[in-house]
Amino acid sequence: MGDSREGERVNLFDPAVAVDPQPFYADLRARCPVARSTFLDSPVVSRYEDVARALRQPELFSSAMEKQIALGTERPMIPQQIDPPDQTRYRRLLDPHFSRRKMEALAPAIRSQANALIDRFESRGACEFDSEFAIPLPCSAFLSLLGLPLSDLPAFLEIKDDIIRPQKRRGVPMLPIAEAVAIRKAAGTRIYAHFERLIDERSAQPRDDLTSSLVHAEIEGERLSRSEILDICFLLLIAGLDTVTATLGCSIAWLARHPEERRRIAREPALIPGAVEELLRWETPVTGVPRIATQDVTLHGCEIKRGEMVTFLLGAANTDAAHFRDSDRVDFDRERNLHLAFGAGPHRCLGSHLARMELRVALEEWHRRIPDYAIAPGATPVYSPGIREVMHLPLIWASRR
Amino acid sequence: MRVRVDGRRCVGHGRCYALAPEVYADDERGHCVAPATELPRELEAQARRGAENCPEHAISVDARVESDRPRPEGRPPDRRTGPMSRPRS
Repeated sequence: MGDSREGERVNLFDPAVAVDPQPFYADLRARCPVARSTFLDSPVVSRYEDVARALRQPELFSSAMEKQIALGTERPMIPQQIDPPDQTRYRRLLDPHFSRRKMEALAPAIRSQANALIDRFESRGACEFDSEFAIPLPCSAFLSLLGLPLSDLPAFLEIKDDIIRPQKRRGVPMLPIAEAVAIRKAAGTRIYAHFERLIDERSAQPRDDLTSSLVHAEIEGERLSRSEILDICFLLLIAGLDTVTATLGCSIAWLARHPEERRRIAREPALIPGAVEELLRWETPVTGVPRIATQDVTLHGCEIKRGEMVTFLLGAANTDAAHFRDSDRVDFDRERNLHLAFGAGPHRCLGSHLARMELRVALEEWHRRIPDYAIAPGATPVYSPGIREVMHLPLIWASRR
Repeated sequence: MRVRVDGRRCVGHGRCYALAPEVYADDERGHCVAPATELPRELEAQARRGAENCPEHAISVDARVESDRPRPEGRPPDRRTGPMSRPRS
């Protein structure tokens, strides 16, 4: 280690940080731009310029990390956990299926699903936002994208929870690691079986859905193998549900506490796309992304060792005053917003256009039907660390009936 | 004014064609297609906004061309070429 400065140890999974992360980020950026996470004793990078540069250098900071983060998968998820040039070939194939145009075509289905959910609780004048809206909406978008029936929703929610938060369905805050791994593995097996069946059906009888496209897609004249298709589907499940759920919760929780801005977007829905971007920046529900250093690097006097898992704190980058003017102000009219909520470089979130569409449509429909709402008196929203899902968000409003 | 996109930098964030749809278009992968021709003056602000919002800094704006200088009075902006280098669907 020699004379290298020791990074301060920080707990990125502290529940208090998840509730109010921005001051924690500011402190990290200022005092310790390369800290060490108590989890795995690994480096944490927080300044915008450092994060943005690293995400564009996959040769230095690799995404290939199957061993470090086992989420019930048997192989790396495609294309998230592989590096260019292989990753590039998969992205060429997948990008057209997730383009802004393609995703906009799904907007009417999402709109009607959002309204169907609101129908269930609008007249009640209250709901628990996470379980009644933020969770089911992205999950139904995922099902329509892949061509699965909406009746699969309950099964998918179970599997997703077992993989991402194995403790949740057991009703405990933490599980022993061995038990969590076993639950994830079992859920992984279930999800592989589910997708296997779907692939068989679409191979026999293609439809107008992503699964059928994947079954018949070719890279350089070769069809995708069954395991490649499974690894893609697995990623869509892992990356596409929780993240939008968390963003919906963080956005509505913020708007519930800021009535002036809320009234503005309810009055002027044209402001919603700008609000979506700014809330992505300020809240950054996916707080960080991991990479593996491919060689020894020294950054701000701190050593990062080859093979170490480095966390790039997107949330800290997105609130960096060195990059954003008035970085502490949530400004829906921000003219220039280069936030990294969807990452940067070759791994830019494949689902970013899907996410933006879902968020826009959800905020439009929500505020059209329930423009004035508040967090239920006495309730304290609970934010989960890592991916900041607002797991308990009771809302109330004046019911019209 | 002219704009240019660096295809090696663009990764398909799509901020340019979302914010400046009259200037930038998307290809099949959702990567930016920038007009190859001189932009009419009324699109310059939009073009700049799209470029400034590219998280990869893939779009450069070259303002050192005639349209940035004051035009002789009474002469309409040059409309010989449209902003798009290819038809949009």
